[in-house]
Amino acid sequence: MRPVHQSPAPWLLVVLLALPFVASNYWLHVAIVVLMNITYTVALCAVLRMGYLSLGHAGFIALGAYTSVVCSVRFGLSPWFGMVAAAALCGVVAWGLGALTLRLRGIYFSLAVFAFGEIVVAIARAFDWLGGPSGIANVPRPSFFGIKLDTHFSFYWLAMALAVLLVTFFARLEQTRFGATLLTLKTEPGERLAESVGVNTAAHKAACFAMSCAAVGAMGAVHSMYLLFVNPQVFSFLMSTDLVIYAMIGGTTGFWGPVLGAGALTALGEQLFSVGYWKTLVYALILMGVILVVPGGLSAVSALWKREMTPRGGR
Amino acid sequence: MSLALFLQALSIGIVNGALYILTALGLTLIYGILHIVNFAHGELYMLGAMLVYLLFVAFEWPLWAAVPVIVLLSVLAGFAVERTIFRRLRGQWLQLLVATVGVSLIVQSVSWIAFGAQEKTVPSVLEGVLLLGTVRIPIERLAAAAIAMLLVALLYLVVYRTRTGLAMRAIEEDEETARMLGVDTDRVAGVSVALGFALAAMGGIFVAPIYSINPGMGLDAILMSFIIIIVGGLGSITGTVLAGFLIGIIQAIGSLALGAEAAHILVFVAMIAMLVFRPQGLMGRVR
Amino acid sequence: MKSMNRRNAVRSLAAAGVSAALPMPALAQEAFKIGNLSPLSGPAAAFGIGINRGIELAAEDIGVFEVAGKRYKIEMVPYDTSLDPGKTVAALNRAVLNDNVRYGFILGAAVHGAVLPIIRQNGFFDIFMGAAGKEVTNAENPTVFRFMASSDQLYYTFTPDIYRKLNIKRVAFMGPNNDLGRSDVKVLKDIAAGLKGEGVEFVGEELVELTSKDFQAALLRLLAKKPDAIDTNASPTGTVGLIAKQARELGYKGYFISSTAVLEAKALVNVAGKGADGIIAYRIWSSSPSPLYDQIADRHLKKYKEPTLGTVWEAYAATRWVVEAIQKAGTFETRKVAEVLAQSTFASHPYGPATWGGEKTYGARRQIQTPLPASIIKDGNWTPLEVRMGKLD
Repeated sequence: MRPVHQSPAPWLLVVLLALPFVASNYWLHVAIVVLMNITYTVALCAVLRMGYLSLGHAGFIALGAYTSVVCSVRFGLSPWFGMVAAAALCGVVAWGLGALTLRLRGIYFSLAVFAFGEIVVAIARAFDWLGGPSGIANVPRPSFFGIKLDTHFSFYWLAMALAVLLVTFFARLEQTRFGATLLTLKTEPGERLAESVGVNTAAHKAACFAMSCAAVGAMGAVHSMYLLFVNPQVFSFLMSTDLVIYAMIGGTTGFWGPVLGAGALTALGEQLFSVGYWKTLVYALILMGVILVVPGGLSAVSALWKREMTPRGGR
Repeated sequence: MSLALFLQALSIGIVNGALYILTALGLTLIYGILHIVNFAHGELYMLGAMLVYLLFVAFEWPLWAAVPVIVLLSVLAGFAVERTIFRRLRGQWLQLLVATVGVSLIVQSVSWIAFGAQEKTVPSVLEGVLLLGTVRIPIERLAAAAIAMLLVALLYLVVYRTRTGLAMRAIEEDEETARMLGVDTDRVAGVSVALGFALAAMGGIFVAPIYSINPGMGLDAILMSFIIIIVGGLGSITGTVLAGFLIGIIQAIGSLALGAEAAHILVFVAMIAMLVFRPQGLMGRVR
Repeated sequence: MKSMNRRNAVRSLAAAGVSAALPMPALAQEAFKIGNLSPLSGPAAAFGIGINRGIELAAEDIGVFEVAGKRYKIEMVPYDTSLDPGKTVAALNRAVLNDNVRYGFILGAAVHGAVLPIIRQNGFFDIFMGAAGKEVTNAENPTVFRFMASSDQLYYTFTPDIYRKLNIKRVAFMGPNNDLGRSDVKVLKDIAAGLKGEGVEFVGEELVELTSKDFQAALLRLLAKKPDAIDTNASPTGTVGLIAKQARELGYKGYFISSTAVLEAKALVNVAGKGADGIIAYRIWSSSPSPLYDQIADRHLKKYKEPTLGTVWEAYAATRWVVEAIQKAGTFETRKVAEVLAQSTFASHPYGPATWGGEKTYGARRQIQTPLPASIIKDGNWTPLEVRMGKLD
C-alpha cells in the first residue's frame, strides 16, 4: 500500500525563510538544533521504513563530525570539503557495515550497529590525534563567498539549506520506485517476494542504509561546526535513543512524521531545560501514550481522524 | 604473567561470569519464548538492588522478609506489563521494542527523582576472603555466584521438567501450532515475563552488597546481558551459561594482560564477530 | 528656565516626602541572576546541587544589596548540563541569549573547551568550578575565575609532602579513561619524575570506564607492580570506595590518594568497611577551619536534611565575594568587576583568608588561594594529615 501523499506545505518554507529576520538569537539557536534533529530523524526513518532499527545512528553522526573536524583542524582543509568528506566516508562505511549486518533481522542488526557506534566513540576517545577524551576545539566555520558564517543569523542559513535539501530528498525517495521497493523489504515474506521477481534486495538495503548514514554524516559535520568543537560524549548512545523516540512519537512515514516528532520534542526539551530527569520522564510518558494509543505516531492521528470523519456508504 | 596472577584472574572471571549469567537469564528467557527484547531489563536489575537498599537498609526489614517481597513485586510487575503492554502490541516488533525502552526510561527517571543521585550502599552480610592457595575469593561474591548457579539449575527444572516449561518450549518452537494444540499462550506469556522479571530483579538483589547502587546502574547490566545472550545464542539457557563464563574469563584475563580499556573493546569486538560470523550464537538454532 | 528648575525642585521634594512617608515597597529590587550550569542529574549531580545550595545560603546572608543606587536580590537560575559539553553549550546559549544571565557557575573542565569561545564573545562572568589548569584560567579569558584549587596547586604543592610524610615511594594511578583521568596521569608522572632523586617512582596506571564497578582485574594488574599508594583522582566517591574495597580483598595494604571534595567518610566506610582506612583526601577538612564553616554545615543540615555536599562552601564564598566585588566596582559590567575581583581579598572564606594568585603559572591572576587540608581515614573517621596555604605563583 503506497503511503498517503503528504506534501510539505509551502507555508513551512516561508516560515523557515522568514524566521531569521524575526527571531532572537536564542530562538535561532533552538531552530538550528531543531533542524539538525529533524534531519537526523528523517534519515533514521528511511532505514526504519525498510524494517530495520538503527540503534547506532549517533555513531555515524560522530563519524561525520570527526571526519570534518579532522579535515579542517588537522589538515587545514576547507570546512566545505570536510562536509563532503564526512558524507562520503559515512556512506562508504555504512555500505560496508550494511553488507555485513543487513542480512541479520531485527535485534541483531540493531545491536550490531549499536556496537559499531560504541567502537567509533571508543576509538575517538583513545587517540590523542583525534582529540582523545577532551575532543577537538576551535573548529572553523565555513565561509560562503567570503562571508564567514560565524553568527547565529548566518549559520542558520547553512543549517536550514542542508536540512531542507536532505529532508526533501528522503521525502521524494519515498515516492520513487526505489522507495516502494524498500517498503516491501519490511517483512521477510515481502523480501522473499522481491527476490523472486529479481530485485537485488541486499543492494537495495545497503544503498538505503548508506544514504541515511551519509546524510547524518553531513549534518554531523555541520553540527560540529555549530558547536565549534567535537568530543566523544556529544554523540552518545543516548542521542541514538532520542532519535528513535522522536521517530516513534512523530510517526515514521511521510514527511510530517519525523518533522513533528523531532521538531516538537526538541523545542519542548529546550523549554523543560532546568529539569533533567523530568525531561526524560515527560518524553517517555508521551512515548508510551503514543505507542499504546496511536502506534503510527502523531502524524497518523490526522489520517485516523479523517477516516473516522469520512461518511461510510451502505449504512 | 605469573601463574598466581593467572589463577587469580581466572577465579575473578569465573565468579563474575556466574553473576553475569544470573543477570542475563531473564533477558534470554523473555526473548526466547516471546521474541520480545526487554529493554527495561536493566531497570529491573537496578530496582532489585535499590529495593534491597530501601527495605533492608532504610526501613530495616530483615533480609528473609525483604528478598521474597522484592521477588514477589517483580513477578507482579511482570504479569502486569505482559497483560497491558506486551499483549496489546503483539506482533509489532518495533513498537514492542520501543515500548520497553519507554518503560525503561520511565523507571529510570522516576528512580533518579525518588532516590536521588547519591550512591547507596548495602552493607556486606558476609565479610571475609576465602584463601585457596594464593587465590583470594571474597566470600560474599562466592555466595552470590553459588546462588546464581542454584537459580540456573532451578530454571532448567522449570523449563524442562514442568508442564508450564513444556508449554513455554512449545510456544518458542511454534506459537500458532501450540495454540491450536490447546496451550494457553496468554497465560504462559504472563508466566514467562513474570519469571524473566524476577530473574532480572534477583540479579540486582544478590549484587547489591557487592557494588554500590545508583539509578543508572541498569545500563551496564543490560549491555553486558545483551553481549552474553548474543554470544550464547538468543533464547538458549545453556548458551547463556557458557557465554557468561566465557565473557567473564575473557574480560578478566584480557584486563590482566592488556589493560581494562582494551578488554572492554575486546568484549565488544567478540559480540560483533559473533553477529557477523555466527549470528545464532554458540548454542542458538538457525532460524 | 528658572520656573522649570523650581518646578523640578518642587517635584523632587514632593517625591522625597512621599517616599519618606511610605515604606519601601518590596518589589523595588531587581533580580541579579546567577546561573548554575552544572550537573543537576546523573552521577555528578552532587556537585551541581551543592552549588545550588551554596548560592541559596549566600543569598540568604546577602539579602538585598545596592549597586550604583539600585537595589538587587540574587536569583539563582539552574541549568542541568549533566556534565555534557553539548548541553553546556545549549545552556550557556540559553542563559546569555534568552535569560539575560551574565554571571554564573560553570562546572567541569571537560565542558570548557566548548564554552570558552562563547564566554569570550559575550564577556560572561564564569565562576569556574573544576580543577585543570592553564587551559581554562589564562590571560585570554579575563572573566574566568577558578574558585577552587587547581590540579597544579594540589599536585605540585601538596603531593610531594604527603609522599615524604608517609614514606610513599611507588605510586600508581587508577581512574576513568576520560580527559580528567588522562591529564591526572600525566601530572602524576611529572611529579614522580621530579621526585626521582628521593626514590619516588611511577609504577603503573589503569584507566577504566567511568561507570565501572568492578576493578578486580585491573587492580590485579596494578597490584602486581607493588605500589605504596594508588592515586584515585578523578573518580567519584562510590568508585573510590569500591576501589578500596576490592583492592583490600586482593590483599593490598597501601594508601589511596584522592582530591575530590565530595568524599564522605561514612559513605566510604559503608562501601569498604575497614578497608577504607588508609584513604587520603585533599580538600577534606577533618577539623573545622573556621566558625563560618561550622555555621554553614549546621544550616545545611537543618535546611536540606543531609550532610553538607562538598561544593557548598566554595559556592557560598564565591557568591559573596563576587557580589562584594560588584558593589566595589559599582557596576555589573563583567570585565570591570573581574579587574576589581582579581585585586581583592576575602577574609571570611569558610576555609580561611582567601586571595588570588596564579600570574606566573597561568599568565593571569585568576586562581583562588585558600588554606588547603589533607586528611586520612583512620578507624573509619577523617583525621587531619596536613594543612597548608594553597599558594600558586
